[in-house]
Amino acid sequence: MQGVAIPITMVAGDSYIHRLNPLPKLFIALGVLILSFATRNPLVLGVVFALGLVFVTAAGIWKSYLRVVGILFPISLTLVVMQSIAPAFPRPWTPITDFGPFTIYQEGIYSGVSMLLRIFSMTTFALVMIMTTHPSDLFTSLQKIGMPYVLNFILTMTLQLIPILQNEFAIVLSAQKSRGMKGSGFGAVLPSMVPVFVGAIERVQQLSISLESRAFGSTGIKTSFRNVTMSLKDYVIMVLGVLATLATTVWVIADKSLDWSRTLIFPPTLSIIIVALAAIGFVAFFILAISYVLRA
Amino acid sequence: MEDKKPIIELKDVTFTYASTETPALKGVNLTIYEGEYVALMGLNGAGKTTLQLTFNGVIPNMMMGDFEGTVIVSGMDTDEYPVREMAKVIGLVFDNPEFQLSQMTVAEEIALGLENIGTPPAEMHRIIAESLEIVGLSGFEDRSPFGLSGGQQQRLSIASALAMKPRIVVMDEPTSNVDPIGKEEIFAVAAQLNRERGMTVIMAEHEVEVMAAYADRIIVLHKGEIVLNGTPHEVFTQVDTLKSIGLRVPQATELAYQLDQKRLASYAGKYPVTTEEAVQDLTDKFGKGG
Repeated sequence: MQGVAIPITMVAGDSYIHRLNPLPKLFIALGVLILSFATRNPLVLGVVFALGLVFVTAAGIWKSYLRVVGILFPISLTLVVMQSIAPAFPRPWTPITDFGPFTIYQEGIYSGVSMLLRIFSMTTFALVMIMTTHPSDLFTSLQKIGMPYVLNFILTMTLQLIPILQNEFAIVLSAQKSRGMKGSGFGAVLPSMVPVFVGAIERVQQLSISLESRAFGSTGIKTSFRNVTMSLKDYVIMVLGVLATLATTVWVIADKSLDWSRTLIFPPTLSIIIVALAAIGFVAFFILAISYVLRA
Repeated sequence: MEDKKPIIELKDVTFTYASTETPALKGVNLTIYEGEYVALMGLNGAGKTTLQLTFNGVIPNMMMGDFEGTVIVSGMDTDEYPVREMAKVIGLVFDNPEFQLSQMTVAEEIALGLENIGTPPAEMHRIIAESLEIVGLSGFEDRSPFGLSGGQQQRLSIASALAMKPRIVVMDEPTSNVDPIGKEEIFAVAAQLNRERGMTVIMAEHEVEVMAAYADRIIVLHKGEIVLNGTPHEVFTQVDTLKSIGLRVPQATELAYQLDQKRLASYAGKYPVTTEEAVQDLTDKFGKGG
């Protein structure tokens, strides 16, 4: 009775990135996140994304990385389609060509492509961080820099609860099937929500009793089982990483010539090909996903 | 009982769960002495779990309901101390192991309680290894608690309670998910801790034979009241009382009881309670002919 495993978990390994302290990884991922939102320039975002892929290779997590991207990429394609016909940009918009009943705008396709790159530059770094760090190590590190223990515990517990609930779902669905009820499709998922969530509440209540029975939250000194050390190398990497992302962020904000929204011209045929491919890609994924859910 | 030092004292304890009418415990008076191995018996719904929850203050502190009376554990009134402070003295193992686990690895699961009571990290590794050894889970340190079988989870929750080295350990049907061999091991471990470390063990259990062999004292609950309270001999020889409330007696006792009823042997109320005693007794009575 094993539910579908969540794809975003640690991938065991012993690469250089795996051995790095969680904090430098976390701060660099955060830096990249800020940087990605600070610019729309496709070249800058593309370079950051490519750099992220270098880290994916270094960490040896391509297989798990692609599994997440396989879901994320088709969904992000909607952004390209939606942005192209309704850009998140101040008017006036420059029309390029008609696409059925819609008009494709220059700013729109620029913004769509850069958003796609933005999502991928930041998620690549985030995934490298998550997939090379044991969650407990990450939480221990966060606790060291002052995150409250209780908040920490809530996060750990949430991560644990997802597979448990998936499991429980599978059990309830089987129980329904064995009593002649519909066992698949949306018609079956909906009625199983109630038992699963009532069960979850009961579980949490029991857990709180059992945790208190193990002195959780009691007064006195608390010690920590996991010992995550920060070496000089970790400090150096953290400082360099933060400085690099910070400097780049300042540069992309300050340098106005990086705004290519009107200089990077998409010819009409290319625009139609991009938008059409994005639309087809997303619809194909959507149909596949629905048929998968209905079959399950 | 050489040293009669009370560690748990209940005075007129009555508890009614919220949204129910009948009390789950009715005027319970009970004293448990340090170093005793106590078995709680009774049908499901007799109040075993409720009684155990009063020992560390979950009742009345964390359960909704109507509570009367006082519970003093190791000199502390449970009404005045939160469960998390009582936990340093008394460890509870609940009957549903899966609901007690919360950590990512087996080692961290055991470490959780140790972290809370401030055990130095260096010592933790030794205690974790030792606790896993006791319950037969060595080598499982890095596994996820949720990937274990029911029996393994149950043993893990016992290990997590034992690791904190409480003076009292309370177990609620700790072997409900464990296979027969594992069961025997858990009772033996409890007996060992009881003898060697002087840990007070309180166990709710249906296995009459095992409890007859290990426990110093048997407490029988029925509908929230203590019906019988005494040594295995004192309790299990009350065959009629036990049968009237629907409990089974050990097979050895049952055999002697049947023989007595059919006037094939005379016991005068002194039935054997363990298999060894029965063998000895039957050898004495019938073994002469060879």
